[in-house]
Amino acid sequence: MKKFSLFLVLGIFVVSLFSSCAKQPTQAIDTAKAAIEAASNEGAVVYAADELKKLNDDMQAAMDEVNTQDKKFLKKFGTAKEMLAKVQADAEALKATIPAKIEAAKNAAIQAQAEARTALDEAKALLEKAPMGKGTKADIMAMKADLAGLETSFAEIQTALDGADYFGASAKAATIKEKATVISDQVKAAIEKVKGR
Amino acid sequence: MKTALLVTSLLLCVFCASTCQIPPVPPEVEKVKSQENDLWRAGAPIYAAEEYALYIETLRVAREKLIKQNARLRWFRDYKEVRADYVVLLAQGDALIEKVQAEKRTQSKDYSQRLARLEERMGKIKSLTRSMNENAPVRENLARAAVVSREAEILIRDEKYSDLAPKLDLIDGHIRQAEEALFSILARYADDAQVARWRKLAEDTVSESRRRGTTAVLVNKLARSLTLFKKGKEIAVYEIGLGKHGLSDKLYAGDEATPEGRYRIVKKNANSRYYKALLLDYPNEYDRRQFALAKKKGLIPAQAAIGGLIEIHGGGNDFLTNGCVGVENAVMDRIFSEVAVGTVVTIVGSLENAQKLLTGLGISGS
Repeated sequence: MKKFSLFLVLGIFVVSLFSSCAKQPTQAIDTAKAAIEAASNEGAVVYAADELKKLNDDMQAAMDEVNTQDKKFLKKFGTAKEMLAKVQADAEALKATIPAKIEAAKNAAIQAQAEARTALDEAKALLEKAPMGKGTKADIMAMKADLAGLETSFAEIQTALDGADYFGASAKAATIKEKATVISDQVKAAIEKVKGR
Repeated sequence: MKTALLVTSLLLCVFCASTCQIPPVPPEVEKVKSQENDLWRAGAPIYAAEEYALYIETLRVAREKLIKQNARLRWFRDYKEVRADYVVLLAQGDALIEKVQAEKRTQSKDYSQRLARLEERMGKIKSLTRSMNENAPVRENLARAAVVSREAEILIRDEKYSDLAPKLDLIDGHIRQAEEALFSILARYADDAQVARWRKLAEDTVSESRRRGTTAVLVNKLARSLTLFKKGKEIAVYEIGLGKHGLSDKLYAGDEATPEGRYRIVKKNANSRYYKALLLDYPNEYDRRQFALAKKKGLIPAQAAIGGLIEIHGGGNDFLTNGCVGVENAVMDRIFSEVAVGTVVTIVGSLENAQKLLTGLGISGS
């Protein structure tokens, strides 16, 4: 019986010793943090802000688990490691999706730029063949000046594209398209006005 | 006996462990987590940065306490203080969300008002360009301002206020360029001495009409008006149209400017290609002197001719002439019947100093 008690106490001591000596999963922490940083640097801040926020929240939860275990007498970092591994995997998965998101935004901006170009060309062509007669010449001249202003703004789309500001480029292109279409409609109305005489 | 005691103690411990009520993590913890997410989405880090930082710090402290409790043996956990902290956090977060929303409302209102003021300026300038044929540089800048203005509208709609200030500055820059272009066109019209000369010309014309009991025509280029006087009395005012550079004083053939000065009708043409026309004696002596001086100074092309054939004609007031004064056909009929060869036609830039007009737009002109 004495022997059994001795072994029991010794066993508990050994288990306690090993448990309390379990170390923080610093490598897993660093790896997860680095994975988030990499996703962020890839462009997640702009192209996947919500997902990045969730990743950071998950990282915080994992760190809370690490800190909780760290304060325990019997430390078990298994759950924390799993959480950190998931954060790392999620961050890497997110990072992998960013180039496609950037590409999609870029393509959308290029598409919007092309549409703006078409709208400008259409307005220009209409203005060229618009009858510069009574009641329209001054209007046509004013619209040509408006179109020249839009042409200057159009060049700014490329500047935005070159600076990888794809959302800005898309917004500007959409606006220019909208304004050019208004000019086309006005030219058509002016043509109709002349036809109606 | 000892073994029985040990086994009983162990069983008692197991029983306690399974039946003792373990305090649950307060529900406020999850609520705060969701609240913090809402705050982030609402833009608290941008619109209430200081308060949000304080909230996050309070959350950090509360989380530390939660971790401390979670680290204790489950029977010894006490979440009372943690719960109290998270309740405070929830209240703090609610207040913060309200502050963020209030800040966004304020920014939306402020930016909308600033944008509205800029658009009002754009509207005023644009309305002026409608009566000004040499408006291309002004209109170009206004078109650029309009593009950025639309982008700003979208940013306000999407509550992206942090990107708005530079856009509004850009609009302001384009408007300023439009105003400068406008001023360069109207500078002569804001010159007191020049306006005084025009006034004198107009007064002399009206006085002569009164003194001699004759009909006289006064054309005001900036006001786009033609006034008919009979015996010094104003009998009618009509709207006119001018050339592409109608606000400039004519210097040479093809400059599409309308001459300023005192002229006389030298021919009444009832079968003009522009319905009916009244030919003026442009260039007069003064015009010839000015032309020679400009040529000498190299202000006009060396091969330029002085030009002529300046008329008041029909065909409408809403199209561009080559320097003539255009009126509607019905108006032309009325003028044609009232004037004769020899009738004085005085053309002036303006009778009012345009400075008032420019000041109204916020342009100092100095």
